[in-house]
Amino acid sequence: MKDVMKYRKIDAYGNAYADDKLAAGQIAYADRLGIERLILSVPVAKQMGKTPVEFKAYNDLVILAVKRYPHRLAGQLTLHPAYLKESLEEIKRCTGEGMTGMKLYNQFKINDPVVYPVIEQFIHYKMIIHVHGESQLGVGGYRMKYDVDNTPAISVPEDFMDIAKRYPEAMFQYAHIGGGGDWEYACKSFRGYPNIYVDTGGSNNDENMVDFAVENLGEDRVFFGCDSSFYQGVGKVLASGLTEIQKRKIFFDNYNNILKRSGCGLG
Amino acid sequence: MLIDINAYVGHWPFMQLKYNTCEALGQRMDRFGVDVSLISNLNGIFYKNTQSANKELYEEIKASKRYRDRFVPFAVINPIYAGWQYDLEECVRKFGMKGIRVYPKYHDYEINDPSLIELVKKARDMNLPVAFNYKMVDSRQRSWMDIDYVAYTPRPEWTLKNIFPIIKEVPDARYMILNVTNSMQLNEADAALFNKANVLMDTSGRTLTDMGSLLKTQGKERFAFGTHSPILDYLTGMLRIEALRENEADAATKELLRSGNAKKFLGL
Repeated sequence: MKDVMKYRKIDAYGNAYADDKLAAGQIAYADRLGIERLILSVPVAKQMGKTPVEFKAYNDLVILAVKRYPHRLAGQLTLHPAYLKESLEEIKRCTGEGMTGMKLYNQFKINDPVVYPVIEQFIHYKMIIHVHGESQLGVGGYRMKYDVDNTPAISVPEDFMDIAKRYPEAMFQYAHIGGGGDWEYACKSFRGYPNIYVDTGGSNNDENMVDFAVENLGEDRVFFGCDSSFYQGVGKVLASGLTEIQKRKIFFDNYNNILKRSGCGLG
Repeated sequence: MLIDINAYVGHWPFMQLKYNTCEALGQRMDRFGVDVSLISNLNGIFYKNTQSANKELYEEIKASKRYRDRFVPFAVINPIYAGWQYDLEECVRKFGMKGIRVYPKYHDYEINDPSLIELVKKARDMNLPVAFNYKMVDSRQRSWMDIDYVAYTPRPEWTLKNIFPIIKEVPDARYMILNVTNSMQLNEADAALFNKANVLMDTSGRTLTDMGSLLKTQGKERFAFGTHSPILDYLTGMLRIEALRENEADAATKELLRSGNAKKFLGL
C-alpha cells in the first residue's frame, strides 16, 4: 500500500450518485487508495438528461456534492445540446459555481453540428469536454450484427477524430478506455490527434492497457480514471511498465495541467 | 507469503499478451513479491486435443528448478474429447499437476453434461480441485472470432447461476471459481448449498468490490489472492486484499487471503 499511497491522484472519471450515503461510499474508496480528487458528473445511464429540467437537476446534484466535499470533488456539468439556449445558460451558471468541464453522454454524437456552439463555449472557458465513447462489437462500434442495446448516437473513435480536427483548440476526453471498448482500436485511432485525451477508467483492467495507451498517445494524453472501479483503476496503472515520472503524470499531473488552463489546478 | 491461484502462460489468439511465459511470469512475481503461482496453459483452451497444451506446460516447467519450485501446474481437460481419462492420469502421475481447469463454453458442452459430471466425480475421487471461471476476457471487447456469450445480449456472460448446477450435481468435490465478474446471486436453497460446498474463489474478478462484506457473507476461508494474469493486470487482485481496513479483515484474515486459504485448500 506504500506504493499506492505515494502517488497523488486525480480520478478523471468519477461517477455521481443520488444521495449522500453513496457519496460517502465513493469518498471511502478514494481514501483507501489515496485518490485526492474525483472529477464528478451525473450522466451515467443511457437515457439520462433528456430535458433542461433533468439536466439542471443533475447539475444541482453535482454542485451540492462538491459543496459537501469541496476538497475531494470537482464537478463537470452536463447539458442537452438540442436545447441550446438553456444549455448556454447552464454553462454560465455551472462554471460560475466552480465546475471545471463538461460531460456529454449520448444524446448526440460529439461531431454533430448541433454540438458545435457548446464546444465553442468550452474553448472559450479553456475546459475539457468529456464524452462517453465506445469502440466495441455492436452498435457502439464495428460489426453491427451484435446489437448490444446502445443508441446509435453514441460517439465512436471516428467521431472524436472528426471533431478534434474541426476544433483543434478544443480539448476532448474519450471516456474510459477500460469501459469495455476495444482500447487498442481507440488508442490507435487517436495517435495523430493531440487534442484528444483518454482516461483509463472502467471495470476492465487488461494487462498492458495503460502501457499501450502511453505508447500510442504519449505520456501527456492519458489520465488516471476509475469510473467507480477503484481497484482496477489504481491496479492497472501501478502494474504497468511506466516509469515513475510517467506514473506521476498519469495519476495526477496530466489532468491537473488541464485544470490549470482554466485556473482550476490543484496546488 | 503470497500465492496466486489464478495465472496462466500461453497465448490468447486474438490479442498479444505480455508476461505469458514461465520466465516472464516469474519476473512479475519477483517484482510484486509473489512466491507461488498456480498456472495452466491458455493454449489448452484452443487446442482440440488439450493434452498437447498440458505437455507444453510440463516441458516448460521441467526446464528449470526455479520454475518447479514456484509454479503449481493445473491440467486443462476437455471431458468430451477422446482419451481425457488417460490424459488426466498422465497429468497427475507423470506431470505432477495438482488440479484441473475446465472450459465448458470454449469446449462447447453444457454445465450438466454427463461427461463433465464424470470428470468432476473422478477429480473428487483423486482429491483434485476443479476450476471454473466466469469468463476469460471482457465480452464487450471480444474478437469477432471469440465465443459469443456477450454482455447485454440474449446470450450474456456467465454468472454463478451458470456454474452452480455442477456443484449441486457433485456437492462433495472441491471447486475453484475464478475471475468472479458478474452476479453471485443464487436462490435461497442454492445459496445454502453453495455455502456448504468446498469452494475457493480468487480476488481477480471485478464483482469483488466490497470485499469486507463478502468476507462476512461468504466466509473468510473462501477467498484467495488471484491475478488472472497475464490477461488482467497483476495488482488489482492484490489491492482488494491489501486495501481492506482493520475492521474488515485483521492481520490473520489478510494472511489467509494472501496464502493461508490457498495452502489449506491445495494441501501445499
